[in-house]
Amino acid sequence: MKTLKGILGYSWAFLTIFIVLATFIGNDYFSGKLASATDIKISPWFSGGEIIKTIDHGAYKTYIHRPVFDALIGERRKGFIQLNWEPYAGLPPVVQETIDYNDDNRADFLIILNTQTGDTTLSANCSTVLSTERSYRLKKGWAVRVILKK
Amino acid sequence: MEAFILGLSNGATCMAYCAPVLVPYLLGEGKGIFRNSVLTVQFLLGRLLGYLLFAVFAWGINRSILQGVSRPDLVIGTAYVIFSLLLIYYGFFKTRTSCETTCTHGLRHKLMTILPVSIPMIAGFVTGLSLCPPFLLAFTGAVEKTTVLQSMFFFFAFFLGTSIFFIPLPFSGLFRGFAALRIIGRMAAGLIGVYYLYSGLVMLIGGNTI
Amino acid sequence: MKKDAADASAIKKRSLFKTVLLCLPMMLLTFMMLTQGSIPTDGERLFALIATFLFFNILFFLMVRTGKTDRFRSILFITLAVCFVFSFISNLIAVRGSMALSRATMIEGGAPFCHLVIPMTIIPAALTKTIIFPGKILGRYSIAGMFVLWIGVSLALGRGLCSWFCFFGGLEDGFSRILKKPIIKNMNKKWTYLPYAVLLGIVLLSALTLSPTYCKWLCPFKAVTEYVEITSMQVLIQTIIFVSLFIGLVVVLPILTKRRTQCGLFCPLGAFQSVTNKTNVFEIRLDQDKCIKCNKCIKACPTFSIDEESLGRGRVKTSCTKCGKCVDACPQQALFYHVKGTPLVSKLDRYRLLFLYPAFLVLAIISSRFVQDAIVKTINLITTGTTI
Repeated sequence: MKTLKGILGYSWAFLTIFIVLATFIGNDYFSGKLASATDIKISPWFSGGEIIKTIDHGAYKTYIHRPVFDALIGERRKGFIQLNWEPYAGLPPVVQETIDYNDDNRADFLIILNTQTGDTTLSANCSTVLSTERSYRLKKGWAVRVILKK
Repeated sequence: MEAFILGLSNGATCMAYCAPVLVPYLLGEGKGIFRNSVLTVQFLLGRLLGYLLFAVFAWGINRSILQGVSRPDLVIGTAYVIFSLLLIYYGFFKTRTSCETTCTHGLRHKLMTILPVSIPMIAGFVTGLSLCPPFLLAFTGAVEKTTVLQSMFFFFAFFLGTSIFFIPLPFSGLFRGFAALRIIGRMAAGLIGVYYLYSGLVMLIGGNTI
Repeated sequence: MKKDAADASAIKKRSLFKTVLLCLPMMLLTFMMLTQGSIPTDGERLFALIATFLFFNILFFLMVRTGKTDRFRSILFITLAVCFVFSFISNLIAVRGSMALSRATMIEGGAPFCHLVIPMTIIPAALTKTIIFPGKILGRYSIAGMFVLWIGVSLALGRGLCSWFCFFGGLEDGFSRILKKPIIKNMNKKWTYLPYAVLLGIVLLSALTLSPTYCKWLCPFKAVTEYVEITSMQVLIQTIIFVSLFIGLVVVLPILTKRRTQCGLFCPLGAFQSVTNKTNVFEIRLDQDKCIKCNKCIKACPTFSIDEESLGRGRVKTSCTKCGKCVDACPQQALFYHVKGTPLVSKLDRYRLLFLYPAFLVLAIISSRFVQDAIVKTINLITTGTTI
């Protein structure tokens, strides 16, 4: 028993060198496998959530993300919806979008963005639309988050 | 969720202080894991009953006092600040357990001599009568709720959070390391108290915490 | 266990031939990992490669020859921390123009992920299948990449990660070695439990708020990496907190106590890693027949992982980071590295060597990029006035 434990101990200790080498040499491979096996994503509170609709304006596009109310379990009372406009080169001085975020065939809000200054104007048509966070100048275009409540 | 997290953060302390005293008494019969589990569940049900009664009391305070106040967030914010400071004090500085120094400690002690606490449910109910800082913070959270069901659900979530630490008890052999668990539990409770202090201060100045 | 003074001196100085033989595998492995199959032709990069290779292998040679671990480990560990900070900050300024992290960068997933975030992400990841961090899943400084590193290093070294991998720990290690004697000698033992309380608190609050609480409110290393740009009162308060914690826990207290106070008294990842020590094959043990209870090990331990009670059991606590400082400090060589399952013989240096190979390899590989980058940037700074 003692001998067996000794052999196992030594074997495990030798194995750690190979674990270290595999970890660093195979980092790209293992991280790809880990990501695909777990199907993990960045929290929508940071990424803005998945894009559910694209509006093609010719020179530029508007990307509408899904409303984010995600909580650890269930949903929160307050959330947001993110809108992106890209690319910079195709953007007019002012862009505006009328959004129906809850698919009830009624416009919920109108958002106007000044693409030169980043100023936003929000006209809410229902009580669940609260306000906007400030606009964000991304690498490819602009993003705005509109604060919502349930 | 907030109540559950508050319960979890304080459950370690609750368990570490209550269990070494109560569990040997309850489980002194030594009747095996199944019987021990039944006794623990009865004990926890007694605690739940106590908490739910306080939930109704919290709703009563909401209806009678809070509804008549023009700035209820000022009252709640002040309560958060006071109770969180107490929790921070007990978490990092006070050497005696917060359970022992509550105003209900004497009442609990008396009840345990009068009532047949050999019945686990009654022992659990009496244990639940502890106005310790974590409980007071949970009570303040429940007072914010507008319906009695919301208040009861809030306390139920707090109860679940504290009770998770009692699950391994029927399996015994877990009395080692209670001293370390007490210290960690108290410090964690103190840190959560810092979070509630911040929440209370933000409420007082009229902002948003999350 | 028997006293064996003759064997004890044999551990101290190995013959030159044997030392070189034992160092050859490490030379080969470090050469392989540093070059990654291609030798740079650029003069600066070639110089950096050669200098780094020689630096690593001289240190390893000295570790094997002299029998001392911490003295040489700390040189590389502190170098890693300094080079990491220099390399990271200069890269940020070259790419972004400042150390401040904007909300726009966070929305685009531009925040580099570090290992300190890991404990906070686990519950939300399990329940929501999302990572509560504004980074990238794959790529450079990615979340998946760091998770793989953390899993591998934890499997190999347990909490040895804190003394052989963590690129922040070297800062405190360096500050703790400035004074010859500590000014604050005694500390209430209850504070050694604070990291576990911090871990519990931040894990629960992160789950509640779905944001990395430690990163947002407490991490002192934002002072030397990156921080959220100050656009609100809340962020200003957060900035004051992390700067204060950096000055207090990473600079001032290590100088005054000669200990790694952030690691031993605050770091939640360190508390998390203590669990991995339970299952790791390497440990530090005490030969109680040799121990004369001088308590030099207790005073030497940078993470408060030894006390009279643990010495009485012939062990160190689970918070041990396997830095080797206690082993080097013990005048009787009563403390020794040990491989679980094998005989408890203090005179055998083979256990230390078996640990040194994976541990030094981890330290060398993680240091390689930052040390070389720092050398190249320093040369650029001297010759052109800019780090680019």
